Amino acid sequence: MKRQVPLMLVFTLALVMIVQYFVPNDFSLDTNEFLLKWIIIIGIFAMALGIWSLIRVSYEKIRRRVPGWQYPIATLLGLAAMIVFGFDYGRHFYTQEGLENYMFIHLFQYIIIPIQATMFSLLAFYIASAAYRAFRARSVLATVLLLAALIVMLRFNPYLGTFGVYLEKTTSWLLNVPNLAAKRAIIIGLGLGAVATALKVMLGIERAYLGRD
Amino acid sequence: MNNSRIWSIVIFAAAVLIFGLSWIIIGSQAGHNLTDAFLVTVAAFLTLSILSFLYKDNPYYKFAEHLFVGVSAAYWMSVGFWSTFVGNLLPRISPSLCTYFGVPYKGFDIFFFIPLILGVFLLMRLSSKMGWLSRWSLAFIVGTTAGLNLIRYLRSDFISQVSNTFVPLVTDWRGIGPFFSDFSLSITGQFAMSLSNWVIFVGVFCGLIYFFFSKEHKGAFGYASRMGIWVLMITFGASFGYTVMGRVSLLVGRLTFLFHDWLGLVK
Amino acid sequence: MKFKIMILGCLLLALALPALAQDSVKTVEASAIPAISPPAPATNVTAMDSPNDNGHSLTLRWTLSADDGAGQKTVLGYKFLRSFFPDSGFVLREGMAPSGSSEYVDMGGRKPDDRDFMPNDTDYYYIVRAITADSNVYSDSPVIGPVKAVGQLYNVGRTLVLVFVLCFAAITIFFIRRARKGAKLFVRRLAGIEAVDEAIGRATEMGKPILYVLGLGTAADIATIASFTILGRVAKKVAEYQTGLIVPCYDAIVMTVAQETVRTAYLDAGRPDAYNDDMVYYVTSNQFAYVAAVNGTMLRQLPATNIYMGTFYAESLLLAETGALAGSVQISGTDQVAQIPFFVVACDYTLIGEELYAASAYLSREPILLGSLKAQDYGKAAIIVISILGIIASQFRWNWFLELFKAGN
Repeated sequence: MKRQVPLMLVFTLALVMIVQYFVPNDFSLDTNEFLLKWIIIIGIFAMALGIWSLIRVSYEKIRRRVPGWQYPIATLLGLAAMIVFGFDYGRHFYTQEGLENYMFIHLFQYIIIPIQATMFSLLAFYIASAAYRAFRARSVLATVLLLAALIVMLRFNPYLGTFGVYLEKTTSWLLNVPNLAAKRAIIIGLGLGAVATALKVMLGIERAYLGRD
Repeated sequence: MNNSRIWSIVIFAAAVLIFGLSWIIIGSQAGHNLTDAFLVTVAAFLTLSILSFLYKDNPYYKFAEHLFVGVSAAYWMSVGFWSTFVGNLLPRISPSLCTYFGVPYKGFDIFFFIPLILGVFLLMRLSSKMGWLSRWSLAFIVGTTAGLNLIRYLRSDFISQVSNTFVPLVTDWRGIGPFFSDFSLSITGQFAMSLSNWVIFVGVFCGLIYFFFSKEHKGAFGYASRMGIWVLMITFGASFGYTVMGRVSLLVGRLTFLFHDWLGLVK
Repeated sequence: MKFKIMILGCLLLALALPALAQDSVKTVEASAIPAISPPAPATNVTAMDSPNDNGHSLTLRWTLSADDGAGQKTVLGYKFLRSFFPDSGFVLREGMAPSGSSEYVDMGGRKPDDRDFMPNDTDYYYIVRAITADSNVYSDSPVIGPVKAVGQLYNVGRTLVLVFVLCFAAITIFFIRRARKGAKLFVRRLAGIEAVDEAIGRATEMGKPILYVLGLGTAADIATIASFTILGRVAKKVAEYQTGLIVPCYDAIVMTVAQETVRTAYLDAGRPDAYNDDMVYYVTSNQFAYVAAVNGTMLRQLPATNIYMGTFYAESLLLAETGALAGSVQISGTDQVAQIPFFVVACDYTLIGEELYAASAYLSREPILLGSLKAQDYGKAAIIVISILGIIASQFRWNWFLELFKAGN
């Protein structure tokens, strides 16, 4: 019961979804719609588990006074503030109205957005240090990679004159021809691998995700 | 007191001074009030705190990081709660809860009890005795999406990629004709096109050979596989180089916020 | 304020439009431009259920009006009237077909509360109207009908996908069965995976933990499922060596599954007591907040090895570079083609594309899993053969062959 029911569920539902793809009628579409909606709803309950995990881990750090235990307080305060503002007890609710709370929007705009954008912009520095790392690479393959990267990076360099024009042409060839070929090979391989994995899941061969007693 | 402690106090004092001043100065400008001046200052403080990570991990980064985690986790929780739980589930199961939350009731639908029950099963994880029930919910999710993904991968990635490989290796070939009259080769046009098609074909072929797992990569097979990894590496290099410029523009965006929106130095 | 003005402006404009239209009609009448004579109607009209769908749609075909592109050349296009009865109640449908076209799909809503609901299994009658520049001058075809919209049981257009699914499933099951019977299967070396064992040993020696990142995928993504299997193997080794394991998660369901996976692995290794749920924890479902937290963990806990397996987006480089700067050994694998270059540059070992899916089989060395690898290889061989055939077909213009592969949608 503990083991068989989940495996049967997996097999049946996967089969339903596959058959559903080939059957275009209303019943089939409704089934698809329902199943996907349900997954999203179950996801909300999982979210509660997630928040619970975050609270517990933070609380444990504070309780055990691990080094840097003060910081999780910021996590818990941010969490609490956002949840309270998100629910907005003062107003009356309508679907997303809790989310229209003044502070909720402001916390989103002045905390989440700037940090998010800054984290993203760090990529500029990281890509530079990654390029530097590639420079030091000693293997032949890494050198091939670096050369291709250099050609593409230098293509707009105005100091290169005519040479730059060649680089630009080479770049567009690189991106349109070998790039296309390699991506195609990878995608075909990925497709086969993904389908094989899905089949293994369906047949209950791959079941690490179900755990064991 | 050791040196690093003194330094951190100095930096903290400087930060308080700079951001305090910024709050007052922005707040006193026309078109601003103290609240939004405070918020802009906070945003600037957090931006700089995150950027400081480039130098090294430090208390400001740690603070911003932890705050960010808490706020964003709750953000997604709230969005999920309102849009899915209140917006989709409640209108189908309970008129009284609908009245409480002020959402229109859409009529009872027994099918919506299934995700509700599976959701509650998932929460059973927290109990050691009934924890196994949560696997039913996981099985539900994994099963449905395994079926969905199996088809999705075949349909979108796979078949279209295969059929796109169907390009003639000699382009614009009208048969050899008497004395090759129909067959012209120009270096820039057909020849370049044919060459590209050859490269694509050989690239895909060798790439696929590289991904063969159950055959030893030796002899001709080994050469093809070696060629395949070369093509892959050239590609990785090219797309790496291609992304660099895009990433730099993100940084410019952030600097614009600091210098324009916060400090007002750049108009 | 600007917005309000714009809305008001639009409202005024909307109010004025009918008046303007009437004015222009009046002027046309007044100036008495020679009237267009009615065009020839569309002929041979047929109506049938649209194929391969859920119904709620009918396809009309006709022979062009004699004045469409020829004759008087007055036909601007075709409009369609629909009724539930053969002799009355015809209502003009919304869409139109431009001149020169001889097919139109009339589609309605699927559910009773959808806009323009078009129920299945109901008799419909149609008239095709050839229209001209003058909205009063047109000619109608005879009434056609009755015709019913029906949902089909099988989508013929997807046969190619079905054939692929069946063939591939058959090959996979065949090899898995063969492997079960004990056939020996060779699997080539995967450097990235061999490094895993080594890395765990190194972590144990250094007394430092291992960080396992499952990426941003949901528990439903195939790459994440493959990653769970790898996590299971890694966790088992970690448990055997008594090393620490840190698994920060981006998705709550992924966290739940990962907890289950790791717990099982510790159980298999005979050390269930060493497992606790806080090894696998949820961080947040915000991409960059997650990165910020994982980066912090890397610099503070200094894991000996970072393993990234699953679906990654822009964060791939942020994570991998931070890990590289912190001096950890890094092993990665992703199904996101665009992120592979960053991993290749910043990690010590990278599983490229399909290698991620092969890794779980490789790590376990279980014959059943290896059997499916063999099936994947046969799949690739089949693709190579089909590609060569396709290339020949396109060279010699065997269009029937090319058409076969275009049908899949």
